[in-house]
Amino acid sequence: MTNRTNPGRIAAHGVMVALSFLAIFPVYWMIQTSFRSENEIFSGGLFPAAPTLKNYADVLAAMPMLRILANTALMAGATTLAQVATGLLAAWALVRWRFPGGALARSLIALSWLVPFQVVMIPNYVLASRLGLLDTVAGLVIPNAAAAFSVLVLYNAMRGFPREVVEAARMDGAGSLRILAEVVLPNLRAPLASVSILCFISAWNEYFWPLLLIRRMENSVVQIGLQFFMTQEGNDWGPLMAAATLASLPILALYLVLQRQVVDSFMKSGIR
Amino acid sequence: MIRRHFLALALTTGLMAGGFAPAAQAQMAPSVDQPVTITFYNYNLASAGIGREATLDLIARFEAANPNIKVEPIAAPSNEVLSRVQADMVAGLDVDVAQLVFRDLIYAAEQLGAQPLEDLAGEELAAHAAGFVPNGLALGAVDGKTYGLAYVFSTPVMFINRDLFRAAGLDPDQPPRTWDEVKAAGMAIAQKTGKHGFFPGAYGPTDGTFVYQAIVISNGGKVREGNRLTFADKDQADAVAMLRDLMDSGAHARIDVGAHLDTFQSGNLGMFLYTSAILNRVETAAAGKFEVGLAPMPSFGDKPTAPTNSGSAIFMFSQDPVKQRAAWELMKFLTSDEAYSIITSKIGYLPLRLSTLDDPRYLKDWYAANPKYKANVEQLSRLTANVAFPGPNYRQVENMMKDAMTEAVFGSGDPRVVLKTAQDTAQPLMPQD
Repeated sequence: MTNRTNPGRIAAHGVMVALSFLAIFPVYWMIQTSFRSENEIFSGGLFPAAPTLKNYADVLAAMPMLRILANTALMAGATTLAQVATGLLAAWALVRWRFPGGALARSLIALSWLVPFQVVMIPNYVLASRLGLLDTVAGLVIPNAAAAFSVLVLYNAMRGFPREVVEAARMDGAGSLRILAEVVLPNLRAPLASVSILCFISAWNEYFWPLLLIRRMENSVVQIGLQFFMTQEGNDWGPLMAAATLASLPILALYLVLQRQVVDSFMKSGIR
Repeated sequence: MIRRHFLALALTTGLMAGGFAPAAQAQMAPSVDQPVTITFYNYNLASAGIGREATLDLIARFEAANPNIKVEPIAAPSNEVLSRVQADMVAGLDVDVAQLVFRDLIYAAEQLGAQPLEDLAGEELAAHAAGFVPNGLALGAVDGKTYGLAYVFSTPVMFINRDLFRAAGLDPDQPPRTWDEVKAAGMAIAQKTGKHGFFPGAYGPTDGTFVYQAIVISNGGKVREGNRLTFADKDQADAVAMLRDLMDSGAHARIDVGAHLDTFQSGNLGMFLYTSAILNRVETAAAGKFEVGLAPMPSFGDKPTAPTNSGSAIFMFSQDPVKQRAAWELMKFLTSDEAYSIITSKIGYLPLRLSTLDDPRYLKDWYAANPKYKANVEQLSRLTANVAFPGPNYRQVENMMKDAMTEAVFGSGDPRVVLKTAQDTAQPLMPQD
């Protein structure tokens, strides 16, 4: 009996297929519901009887969805860049230099990861208000410009980098920033990619801070936009699913473009 | 939910720590002679569709009629609008007019500095309220003063799936009038069609407390007397025990409490007691699938029903005399005949001014074309104020009551014991006399 026809292996694959189906089915249901007409939303069946684009038209008519998506992309992109940049520099400092209190600083950064954002939300809101950042993308990005998560992941990735190579570069006369940019960074593509993707997804899904900070629909982000179809008097499932589908597309596109790198980087950096 | 409570607690602490306290009363300006901008916190604006469009229409009409007043609309979902108001007060921003749900009434009056309208606009308020439905002004009153002006609201009505009634051998033109008849009809639907009989929108994540209160008050009960909780007392507990009896008999659906509206819209529920504000949504979902009927809420035998109000009131928080005048003018406009013509016909809430239903300039034609609203309009003569809880823990107390009621109906324990245990646990969270 070959390994390929081993009953245990077949059973394992069966379980994986079933789990994959469970994972994909809600996404499929979201997409097919977005093509159902209003009086068909609660009908059973795997396919809409009379597929319609009305829900998408309704979403685009009810709110500036494209602008909201652009706001979200800008916010998530800027937040990711800021978190990766600050994480990179902080991790480099912690790895490159041994200084009194270094271990304590690292511990404090790790501990700060455990503090829920809700704790600092109101002081941040008051500060954002005083700085005139209400209702702006900058206000969404600045309080999230540094993240303990990216510092710690990049710190762990850099720690494994051979010190001899760094020392050799230093003896060749390279400064710290040049060593970071030209020697270390090219070898950190996998963890950088994984951190960037996770930061982007986390920022894309942010809800509470935009809910507090944003005051107008046109300045809103997509997670708040979805809420516009959910009220105490019931949910508009058709437009809600259409908006959710539109909101998922950029993340899906990002994944499709970077699919191989994402999987590789998650495996290599130990993020699963 | 935990996050939401945490946020509310943090904001309350922030208000206290910041030394926030209601300012002394100022004399409202007689008119607005210079351009002024006021903020309007509104949850209808935080929805996509007719609620938002109608509200923006109202604001545009108001600004056109009051060229010196500009309204800055600020949208927040109904569950979050209080947090937004609190956060902006902590941040030192001007909060002028806010639409808050009735559960926040006492908190807004006693902790947030909502203005008592009698003190600011006594005679004007009396003149403006003359056309309200009976008890209309009482909906937003605390200790005899009006802090919230009832704005968009509705009462519980019974939605009927007329097709399921026919399939169960019932006459949809003779919907149940009493709870005994609801039980019989619910059992018939469950047994003969295999679908669900009855469900009240009184439980779950959406705000169903007004439905629950409408049921217990219709049985002569009250959920509190002053600062003493009474939701486990006899009449109230009897009302909950009646729901439990419906459940045990099979007349009451045992479904996900968050999916009641979806279950009715899917055609799988015969009777659904909930706000009439969902009528447009229900009719759209039912089109081509089943026929929707409406009936008044059921009664306990011969006792008159006491429909309570869902929805919201508008509160004034302005401190500046000129802004107070601008805010008052906005509040008057939003509760005027013209505004209710839009609010009722476009969004589906009830008109606070019944004369609009007979006036061809306002809702007469619309009412004639939409006779289903009659069941709800008739209930307005018995409109009873939804009871808000006092003190800083009011939301926890209300949630404990709601959770206990849900457990009493859906669980297996003695419903009266479940309610009493919850009441004893919640009482220390109420203000001390």
